Amino acid sequence: MAKKQFSVRTADIASSLFWMAVGVGVSYAGYDLELGRLRDPGSGFLLFWVGVIMVGLSLSIFIRALRRETGAHAIKPFSLGVRWKKNIPVVVALFFYAALFTWLGFILSTVLLLIFLFKAVEPQRWSVAVIGAVLSALVTYTVFHLWLRSPLPTGVLGIG
Amino acid sequence: MDLLNQLAVGFSVALQPVNLLYCFIGVLIGTLVGVLPGIGPVGAMSLLLPATFNITPEAAIIMLAGIYYGAMYGGSTTSILVNIPGEAATVVTCLDGYQMACQGRAGPALGMAAFGSFIAGTLSIVGLMLLAPPLSAFALQFGPAEYFSLMVLGLTILIYLAHGSMPKALLMAAFGIVLGLVGLDSINARARLTFGRLELVDGVGLVPIVMGLFGVSEVLLNIEQELRREIVNTTFRGLLPTARDWLESKWALVRGTLVGFFLGVLPGGGAVISSFLSYALEKRLSKHPERFGHGAIEGVAAPEAANNAATGGAFIPLMTLGIPPNVVMALLLGAFIIHGVQPGPLLMTQNPGLFWGVIASMYIGNVMLLILNLPLIGIWVQVLRVPYKILFPLILLLCLIGVYSVSHTVFDIHVMIVFGIVGYLMKKFEYEGAPLVLAFVLGPMLENNLRKSLILSQGDFSFFFLRPLSAASLILAFVLLVSPLLPWTRKKREALALEETS
Repeated sequence: MAKKQFSVRTADIASSLFWMAVGVGVSYAGYDLELGRLRDPGSGFLLFWVGVIMVGLSLSIFIRALRRETGAHAIKPFSLGVRWKKNIPVVVALFFYAALFTWLGFILSTVLLLIFLFKAVEPQRWSVAVIGAVLSALVTYTVFHLWLRSPLPTGVLGIG
Repeated sequence: MDLLNQLAVGFSVALQPVNLLYCFIGVLIGTLVGVLPGIGPVGAMSLLLPATFNITPEAAIIMLAGIYYGAMYGGSTTSILVNIPGEAATVVTCLDGYQMACQGRAGPALGMAAFGSFIAGTLSIVGLMLLAPPLSAFALQFGPAEYFSLMVLGLTILIYLAHGSMPKALLMAAFGIVLGLVGLDSINARARLTFGRLELVDGVGLVPIVMGLFGVSEVLLNIEQELRREIVNTTFRGLLPTARDWLESKWALVRGTLVGFFLGVLPGGGAVISSFLSYALEKRLSKHPERFGHGAIEGVAAPEAANNAATGGAFIPLMTLGIPPNVVMALLLGAFIIHGVQPGPLLMTQNPGLFWGVIASMYIGNVMLLILNLPLIGIWVQVLRVPYKILFPLILLLCLIGVYSVSHTVFDIHVMIVFGIVGYLMKKFEYEGAPLVLAFVLGPMLENNLRKSLILSQGDFSFFFLRPLSAASLILAFVLLVSPLLPWTRKKREALALEETS
């Protein structure tokens, strides 16, 4: 169990280092865009200083994390009860959906996505997944495309 | 007299059949998203924003505002019946509401939540109506220095009230400003942080960020844990609270309304914090504090009054200054701008129909909610029985369509998914999303006013301290920022955060 747990200290150290890097990047981008003068600030003026502030704040989180005790109270059940296998496929499916959305068209890509989502996390019966997916796609198509006039892609098959 | 004339103008707008219809749709959807855990008013408003493109600004704002205050009504239903808050602002209602339901008093609990919401919601609109005109007139004297300092103060209050680490909240606000600055510089049209992508020239969209941070991330968090919902089996006869219930709750309602309204004006999730504060206040003032947590009706009345009163209060800074105090108001600001209307001190004079129409619609919406909620509680319970495994694919689908409908680009879908992951990780690493979104919206305005002030003052920073309001705002912001360094104020803030999270 101890291996699965992720201490708040480690999390803060990791996240502060990440934000420090982002802050440095933002500052550099601001500097690159031209700081201007105080009486006429340039495009990068605020970006530069916000980046500097980000670095300072990350540093304070980093230092505070280093000072934090590694005792039992500093440990939080970070991944306890978490089913990683459930949300990673969902994210991957969403990216696939975005990639296929224009090519396959709204209805087809939505039906495929929903069937996957109905089956992937808590598997439903095929009939429930297919009927649910088709119905949801048709209802949303009717509401958003036909009623609210929101343009949705028809795809290579020209469906919808 | 003038006020009554203006209100009459508002009612003439709000009572138009089309506006009544959109008000009804707004409060109905608001109640529904309030009932359903996992999708809140922010998600629902983002989703329906594109649906308002073809309607009048009045109808659009009336509907979106209806979703906001409707969600506060609906959120209490899940808190009382399932012990799962539909909204963050109704978390505290679980404590006594669910206990009342377990004791067979779900009806009076739901009834008090609905009546308390109605009374507080209506009183807060009276407050909005009375305070907005003088504040708008006062705000006409503001220059860029005042706006800059007020925005700094607004962000600082939000950060101060954020539960958890203040440096983390500040960091998120800074990141939000950076995101807000992506795109063309409004002064010299120079592209910033676009990485050569044409889609980023106009900046990052608010809707994909909000949908990702609050919609997709919430789904990702929910599906990795098993949500158990045990709906209390009870018949909903006798929804009307008894005379004794009213007697016990009357001061809780008054105090909840006042706390909610004034905290609602402040930036930083007024509805959430005010519900916790009003609950704590009632418990502290009660002669029998031991009843709290075991089914005390004041424990339902006070937070429900507070979270509804806060919605009225939140409109004040947006409608009079053009500064949104929370994420929902930031979205509403987006809706105003999409419809070519700039909220601020001139809104009341340039668009009296819109300004007073929205206020009048809120009176009507509150009546609709009362009529709608009590008889429909049975239906909301049925909605709650829909398992999350069926619900979450539909929530994701609505997020996807909502984002695509705004910009018609797949790029924004990618942005939403990325911010869904970012939001998920932020919650895991205990970073808050609200400062990020508010700073994202305020970022361009903040920069614009800062640069204008520096140009006007020839680069002299003392300019910000020579103007009284600007100086007072900056000094207060500074005090709030350094106060966690002082042991006494740090303890106070940590106690507040603890009450909120526990």
